[in-house]
Amino acid sequence: MKKQFATIACILLAACGLTACMDDHDEPNTDGYLITSPVSLGEVNYSIAQLKQDKASLFTQTQSFEEIKEDKILEGVIAANDCGGNLYQTLLLRQIDGESDQAIILKVKTTWLTPYFPLGQRIKVNLKGLYVGNYSKVPTIGQPYFTSSGNLRLGAMLLGKCATNVELVGQPNPACPECQPIERTPEWLRATANRTYLNFPQLVTVTGTLAEADGTATYAPEELQDAGYAVDRTITNATNNTKVTLRTSTDSPIAFEVMPQEECRFTGILTYYSEWQVQLRTLDDVKPVNEQN
Amino acid sequence: MPHYVGSPQGRPTAWVSIVDYFNSYSLIPSHFSHPSPPFWEQCAQPVTQGREQGQEKDYFCYMRKGATLTAAALLCASGAWAQQPVDSIQVVDNADFTFTESQLDEDNDAAQTVSTVAGSKDDPYLSEVGYLFSSMRFRVRALDNRYNSYYLNGLHLNDAELGRFGYSMVGGMNDATRNKEGMSAFGFNRIGVTGIGGATSVGARASQFAQGSKITLTGCNRNYVARGMFTHATGLLPSGWAFAGTVGYRWANEGVIDGTFYNSLSYFLAAEKRFGNHALSLVTFGSPTERGQQGASTEEAYWLANSHYYNPNWGYQAGEKRNARVVNDFEPTAILTWDWQINDRSKLTTAAGFKYSMYSSTALGWAGDAYDPRPDYYKNLPSSIFDVYNPDVNNPDYLAQNPYLLDQYNDLLDYWRASEANRQINWDRMYYVNRANEAAGGEALYYQERRHNDQRMFALNSAYNVDFGRWGKLMVGLQINSTKGMHYKTMADLLGGTRYTDIDKFAATDYGPNSMEAQNDLRHPNRQIGKDDKFGYNYNIFVNKYRAHAAWQVSKGIFSYHAAGYVEGTDMEREGLMQNGRAPENSYGRSGKAKFLGGGGRMGFVLAPNANRVLSLQVGAQTDAPLSNNSFVAPRMQNNFVQNLTNEDVFSGEASYSFRRGQFSGKISAYYLRFMRGVEQTAFYNDQESRFTYLTMTDVERLHYGVEWSMKYQATTNLSFQFTGTFGNAEYINNPLAEVNYEGMNAATLAALNKWTNPVTGQKGNLRVIADGMKVSGTPQTALSLSVNYNVKGWFLELTANYYDKVYIDFSEYRRLSTVLTNYVSLSSENLQYDVTEGELKQQGGILFDQKGNVVRTYAGKQERCDGGFMLDASIGKFIRLKKGKSISINLSLNNITNNCNLRTGGYEQNRDDNYNTGVARAYRFSKNAKYYYANAFNAFMNIGFKF
Repeated sequence: MKKQFATIACILLAACGLTACMDDHDEPNTDGYLITSPVSLGEVNYSIAQLKQDKASLFTQTQSFEEIKEDKILEGVIAANDCGGNLYQTLLLRQIDGESDQAIILKVKTTWLTPYFPLGQRIKVNLKGLYVGNYSKVPTIGQPYFTSSGNLRLGAMLLGKCATNVELVGQPNPACPECQPIERTPEWLRATANRTYLNFPQLVTVTGTLAEADGTATYAPEELQDAGYAVDRTITNATNNTKVTLRTSTDSPIAFEVMPQEECRFTGILTYYSEWQVQLRTLDDVKPVNEQN
Repeated sequence: MPHYVGSPQGRPTAWVSIVDYFNSYSLIPSHFSHPSPPFWEQCAQPVTQGREQGQEKDYFCYMRKGATLTAAALLCASGAWAQQPVDSIQVVDNADFTFTESQLDEDNDAAQTVSTVAGSKDDPYLSEVGYLFSSMRFRVRALDNRYNSYYLNGLHLNDAELGRFGYSMVGGMNDATRNKEGMSAFGFNRIGVTGIGGATSVGARASQFAQGSKITLTGCNRNYVARGMFTHATGLLPSGWAFAGTVGYRWANEGVIDGTFYNSLSYFLAAEKRFGNHALSLVTFGSPTERGQQGASTEEAYWLANSHYYNPNWGYQAGEKRNARVVNDFEPTAILTWDWQINDRSKLTTAAGFKYSMYSSTALGWAGDAYDPRPDYYKNLPSSIFDVYNPDVNNPDYLAQNPYLLDQYNDLLDYWRASEANRQINWDRMYYVNRANEAAGGEALYYQERRHNDQRMFALNSAYNVDFGRWGKLMVGLQINSTKGMHYKTMADLLGGTRYTDIDKFAATDYGPNSMEAQNDLRHPNRQIGKDDKFGYNYNIFVNKYRAHAAWQVSKGIFSYHAAGYVEGTDMEREGLMQNGRAPENSYGRSGKAKFLGGGGRMGFVLAPNANRVLSLQVGAQTDAPLSNNSFVAPRMQNNFVQNLTNEDVFSGEASYSFRRGQFSGKISAYYLRFMRGVEQTAFYNDQESRFTYLTMTDVERLHYGVEWSMKYQATTNLSFQFTGTFGNAEYINNPLAEVNYEGMNAATLAALNKWTNPVTGQKGNLRVIADGMKVSGTPQTALSLSVNYNVKGWFLELTANYYDKVYIDFSEYRRLSTVLTNYVSLSSENLQYDVTEGELKQQGGILFDQKGNVVRTYAGKQERCDGGFMLDASIGKFIRLKKGKSISINLSLNNITNNCNLRTGGYEQNRDDNYNTGVARAYRFSKNAKYYYANAFNAFMNIGFKF
């Protein structure tokens, strides 16, 4: 009898030993993890400025776009991304060095691009197989898609395209010159001649007060959202009454913040459709003028 | 014109190819009304086209794997033991398919697949269908497992919260649970008044084990690949003691489905002491199990993976496979049973038991704007690029004018097919994102959470049976159950991250990250969560049940009468352990008790003019408390009970005829079950609203009816033929009231969403689910079986051909909400005229109104019916008697011999409609992309037992 129980006990213990946890895994080493091309795309042979020059008609005609069929490799720096949740599938790629007043939107079909494309990251883009054109007059690189209105528009490129058409160059440097905004004065904004695609998109700073700020109003309450799930507020310049729209996504954490009543400097992506518009990257892009001083 | 079907690459590279796919299967233009996606219909065949040679396994790998394992089992075995022809526990394992992020309720569906009353001795139909149809997850009379009762040593073990018995509780204990008895719902039995689906009663007292030892070794290619069991029983010793124990282990480093694994120990220990007329029996058992799960996917994903057994739940992490859905389950139970044989005519059996169940399942979670990590997320699929079902888009001219659509389609298609890793979870990417985000000052965006459903149960059953001779037999008894369910989730893995704040991401998006609503626990706002910390939700559910029941049976000549009845009181209560920011006033603390009084009775008579003919007629009516699992409007968040919460009423009837005429015998039955005022709740990730959602239906009416039979022809003493089957129908017959709760929304927002506006009068009304005509899903409602049995000289052979049909996929209640379906108002006040055809209504659903705002008719829309199909099974065994009472038994069962990989066991519609909120159609058609489960491909089960 005792022998039998001992046998059962031994088997039970042996079986317990077998049942060590199987759902146990080594942590992966993610150093050098890439969604972009692991090999060089080749020498840079193009620039954002050239692209804007060569394909001018694509940027001026309504919602037009075209496939690039040659190996056109351009280089730029990520000057804006979705780190603040206010930009969707959007990167601002800014020309390096002497032509840093030129920039273009690069759209990638995934959310939370920031880990892959941090601010100050230099990248190369081979335009071959990608589409270039405008989305609501904003010069853009991407691929066409069906919008929620059922229209075909130039939108984000498939994430998989990053593996073949995009290359990271070096380490990100958020303090690089390309990440510094261009100051746009009221005078510049008022000048009709500046309302050209050559001047946007761009990382800029504009100064003014928010017309709707009353001490309680937030940037983008859901009850005011339009078809684009965003709310427009107006930045007014005190000196010459220049108006710039501040557009904020209702899904962004910025949306719930109370708008400042004092005069501020607003940094973001500047675009023009029927008026100037700025989209903040994060709430840190709003600085009271007095604080600056 | 190029034709790509069967081409080496097998992928459409131009519009013509897609059209050719359609044409080659004669699905254009009719495919637009075809319920299945057209160009992935071809994976109905075990094609290897479309993937590079040697890229990965095809369907037949399962055969190879099975053969290898079978051979291994044969080689390893050193002895044998008599064994059941088919591993009955496999029925349990068949239920081990799992759920996806968007359909958390599927785990419940899995459990309800096991509903067959096991081994009913006096009912040839019930005794057969238990394992005959288990491959297709057959449920008798299409009834949920909750309507069946499970007793072990006299104790009722159904879960008081879910109503169901979890068969995993006794997994791997075949030798302990072998002594089982099936009981029909209407027959007299000595234990209690069973559920309307009948009951299984297992006798597992130590003295009921066969004396001796046995070793069982098994090899198979199913959820596990190897099993070993050892059982020893002393038998009843002269001292009046009996002891028995069994221990088993089931294992698979990788089961038959990619990315799954199985790791399960089982033990069952029993001791019994007899003294005088008394016997005390103590048993304790448990089956700590860890297993990786399989998930359902769309036909398109199966097509891209070239397998109906594609599993989206796993991916590579540092080069090793990791499953995101891992279940850990351990339900240690102890039961003390006292049998008192008072005299020759009366007996009292009392059982008391305790169970502490620890069940958890993991799932991926993601916060903020992180991209959905599911590999078969619809935006990752080629058909998300353009509407392949729309002839205005999917036609040569349009695609030629817009070549980028097909380019992107092909890019995604190529990506899916380029490597196996591309169509699985990308763990490394999640680690990278978390680390990068934390390096930038943020916190973990991806994590793996563990959802716990623990339970503590005390139960007491007592049944007194007395035989009054010519006055019949009487059973009276009581049944008490006190259950505390503990529901919470913990952080299983931060996936390379170290920081996570306990806020609700949906509420943070709706109300702001700093809002009160974003807080999951206002008592601990912005709590930092580390590994194994509780977060999200934490609540207890208390359920108490008290039942008294009695049954009586008497025989008078050729007549026999029986009646049974019960009264049951139920109370339930929620206790919130977190103060939820969306429901600050009614989430923390006790909800207060809801109490229900139920009961019912069944009666019938049996006419047996002689031993060869028996006719029985039975009827019943009962009203039962709703399940606590369905009774709270959003149990993760708040204490509120569902509105219109009532008992469920059931009317039942059955007529059967049993006969024996020469070598021919059988039984045929007809049944009718009508369920009213039912309560059903689904909880799922709502892709439309991008948030976790509870949808509760009340006042549900269902009707189940049909015929079932089992007939046997004993041709010779060695050869017999059996024909078993059922034709049934089970469907919803009304449009129940609905209550929706989106997690992350506060009470005011929810109140507005739970009203429906009459399109004519503008009056607000109750939300309803248009469910009239929807079929009960997840089981064949038609199942036929023809088998041949041959026994000679210790050999037994069985060949069975089964046919299944009328399998429906689970309909989406959400897509049939009266606020989601389109309302149509008559164009004329005199005649009812609508700008929609009846065909469109039957397909898409809708609600018709006259010009006064009266509802004229409702259409629930089409519910997909899966194709029927055959399955061929065989079993061969040999029993070898050795000297000194030793014996060997060998059994090989082969299931789905023809390797039919196209039999769907069920599935579910996605909870999302085809249009944007703007009313514009999406490129991706959710209505055409249900998710499916398939019956296992060819599989083998080799069992060798040695008794000594």
